[in-house]
Amino acid sequence: MRRHLPLLSILLLLAAGLVLALRAFPLRGDLAAFLPRSDRAEAGFLLDELRSGAATTLLLAGFEGADTAELARISRAVGDTLRASGRFTLVANGAGAVGDAERDLLFGHRYLLSPIMTPALFEEAALRRQMEGLLDGLRSSAAPLLRQFGFADPTGAFLALARSWLGESRVGLRDGVWFSADGRRALLIARTRATGLDPDGQRDAAETLRRAFAEAQPGQARLLLSGPGIFAAEAAAAIRGDVEMISIASALLIAALLLWRYRSLAVLPVVAVPLLAGTLAGFLAVALAFGQVQGAAFGFGMTMLGVAVDYPILLLTQRRPQEPLSTTAQRIWPTLRLAALAAIIGMAAMLVADFPGLRQLGLFAAAGLLASALVTRHLLPRLAGGIAITARPLPPPALAALAALPRGRPVALVLVGLAALGLIAIGGPPRETDIAALSPVPEASRSLDAALRAELGAPDVGSFVVLRATDAEAALAASERAAAALQPLLESGTLTGLDHPARYLPSAATQQARRAMLPEPEALSARVEAARQGLPFRAAAFDPFLRDAARSRDLAPLTLAELSASTALSARIAPLLAPAGSVWRALLLPAGVTDPAALRAALPPEALLVEVKPEMTRLLDTASLHAAWAAGLGVLLVLALLAMGLRSVRRALRTAAPIGGALLLTLAALALLGERLNLFHLAALLLLAGVGMDYALFMGRLLFRSNDAEEDARVLAAVLNCMLTTLLTFGLLAFCATPVLRSTGLTVALGVVFAFLLAATLVPRRPSKTAA
Amino acid sequence: MIRRALLLLPALIAAPARAATLEEVMRGLAAVRESRATFTEEKAIPELDLPLPARGTLSWRAPDRLEKHTTEPVEERLTVEGDRLTIERRGNRQELNLDQSPEIRALVEAIRATLAGDLPRLRSFYDTRFSDGPGGWRLVLTPRSLRLSAVVQSIEMLGRGVSILSIETQERGGVTRMLIDPQP
Repeated sequence: MRRHLPLLSILLLLAAGLVLALRAFPLRGDLAAFLPRSDRAEAGFLLDELRSGAATTLLLAGFEGADTAELARISRAVGDTLRASGRFTLVANGAGAVGDAERDLLFGHRYLLSPIMTPALFEEAALRRQMEGLLDGLRSSAAPLLRQFGFADPTGAFLALARSWLGESRVGLRDGVWFSADGRRALLIARTRATGLDPDGQRDAAETLRRAFAEAQPGQARLLLSGPGIFAAEAAAAIRGDVEMISIASALLIAALLLWRYRSLAVLPVVAVPLLAGTLAGFLAVALAFGQVQGAAFGFGMTMLGVAVDYPILLLTQRRPQEPLSTTAQRIWPTLRLAALAAIIGMAAMLVADFPGLRQLGLFAAAGLLASALVTRHLLPRLAGGIAITARPLPPPALAALAALPRGRPVALVLVGLAALGLIAIGGPPRETDIAALSPVPEASRSLDAALRAELGAPDVGSFVVLRATDAEAALAASERAAAALQPLLESGTLTGLDHPARYLPSAATQQARRAMLPEPEALSARVEAARQGLPFRAAAFDPFLRDAARSRDLAPLTLAELSASTALSARIAPLLAPAGSVWRALLLPAGVTDPAALRAALPPEALLVEVKPEMTRLLDTASLHAAWAAGLGVLLVLALLAMGLRSVRRALRTAAPIGGALLLTLAALALLGERLNLFHLAALLLLAGVGMDYALFMGRLLFRSNDAEEDARVLAAVLNCMLTTLLTFGLLAFCATPVLRSTGLTVALGVVFAFLLAATLVPRRPSKTAA
Repeated sequence: MIRRALLLLPALIAAPARAATLEEVMRGLAAVRESRATFTEEKAIPELDLPLPARGTLSWRAPDRLEKHTTEPVEERLTVEGDRLTIERRGNRQELNLDQSPEIRALVEAIRATLAGDLPRLRSFYDTRFSDGPGGWRLVLTPRSLRLSAVVQSIEMLGRGVSILSIETQERGGVTRMLIDPQP
């Protein structure tokens, strides 16, 4: 036991280090890190929105599982708690949408803000019609409502203004709060004060909501929560869960395999030390270089480091009888070094990618592999030198089958050729165009999000128009011009709706123009007096109107700053009008776009139309292209390295041939299985190339040089054990909830089998015994 | 007159000596499943020289349907059922969800919750003051919320037994007085 002490203490130290590192750098879950930069302004805007836009601060909540009255009570209680918490700029659940203070502010500015303002509205004829309408209304049951505003505003300017502010909410009300159409779910939207780039703030906000729900004594009612902030947390949790599940399950399986092959418990810590050291090194390298670690890069990088298990296995299995472990390490180091360097260079090729997600992945794997290889070479022999671990020889039938494989060379070559032809015939492997497939967010969470959005009548925006200006006033003026340009489309039905910031806050110029439509107080007074003749209104009945109209003539235009003092009002305009760096940005949201070309044609030239779906597809294509370039560069570097290491281009190509064949077979198999390639597949193929390199190098090089059948058997056993452990790790990934990990597992599991079989099949025939 | 006397009869039999409580009146109202009445109404609005008169019929069906059919001077049918309020006037039909306007819901519930005999619901909107005397009972409602009291200051109902005979509503300096004549 004493001999095992150093090994076990290092293992514990590494594990503790990893736990601490994970605590210091919580995993991030936003997808934008996996999209490249783009020169297109549309794409740049879309990426900004994905990273930190208004949409990233939204929380969607549903309450279900109790009767209507109970759910409404809970929704109201949660809404009140959230509003009081100060963490949210907007909390909307249908209850108390606009308060008295907000209404008074809008009412006071009605003649500057109202969309129905015209000079004719204040002519005697119009006033007479308005008064007759008011009188008729007063006779009706609507009298209480009309009396509220009718004498201070017979023109109806305020009612029109209120309608444009409140909009037509499509969400149904029950017991005073928003409910889904089937009445089974109460709905609530909250916008966090914390930005989308502040994961702690997002987490706190979500926690506040969960606590508010618990404090509302929900009984058996359930809370459903969605939104980008929740997604980030769930993605991190899902990846952590997957990684834990895979770690435990594959550790058990690999342990069983190793115990069977090596008949020693000590083999487990020996294999674990380089793996853990690699993981820790990779994690720290990414954390230090990027300041944060993407969940997807970590999860994926972890699986890539599963290859590091190969290094100690190659070391242990190729140990000759009675040979000190340090001698074995020294002996196989040239080949191991070449294999590891090739894999590291393949990974490092991803560092040239111009999006951080892939760079993180490349750095993680490269740093991790380097650490694992070095630990295997220098640390392991010292830690485990005194422990006797001997690999059992392969069972004779297995050995015989493997030795017979080279006879199948023609079959293998035909299969590879067919795969290549098939791939050419279908125009290359099918590519992924839907960003959702890349998301580390579990499928169930995404469909809940879609359901809540649909119920709230806020489906994902299909397209929007971006305007930039030097200040808020210019941005509002630009919005007004663009909205005016789109008015014909609204009238013809090409658009069903248009939301824009100037709808809520007209530019100061427009407000001044409307103010100038108000007549002189004496003139207006005379017109009201004339219009009143013959109607039963008292002389002073319209004094509030005359007073307010006169006061409005001296009223300064309402500014964004004044509006921002009220959270309920600024919440409506903030997503549409905000400073972006040194400029101001206004957003126009068209609804029901049936003809994007007509929309584009109608817009003024300075307006930027962003169509989300095509733009996203274009970005993904660029991302895949970048990854493919990186992979191509990696292949070239690896070939160059091999040629240098083996001192022969021909031998480098021969060593690489089984890997190339395995890649073709894997691509063809994936296409047959209906998989669409994304950049994680590409990264998995790079990993595969790295793993295949181990197989080809060790089988090719050692077999080529050795004259010893026992040595051959040891090499074959070593490579077979490597392949089996990799298969166990990646085969298990197919059970992951995270789509990215699932498809990667499939790719690598298929690939290692192909790579191993091809390496054993295409291995150079033993020439003469004297060949060196 | 005979009709009035008959209406009084149950109250006399049930409580010959002492005055009825609000709870007893509400229980009696809750037992009425359907009723009809005619009304005349005068709306006095401070901004107008003259009060605005109206007349028509009222009908109630438990648990929640109330209709006010104005026949003069302009025909109008106002119906509340559940959370839906509908006004039909001059060929125009307007629908409103009571949840969307708490003030209107409160005005509706003043009458509807009373007719339904639903005291807890009535008290969720208004403070109640009740007295009973030889001439009949008197129920005064004052709004509990500030927002509502900006719209309506008080509602006073006079009744006898299970019939409401008049409703006087004070709103923003105006008074609406409705006299109700129960129909068999």
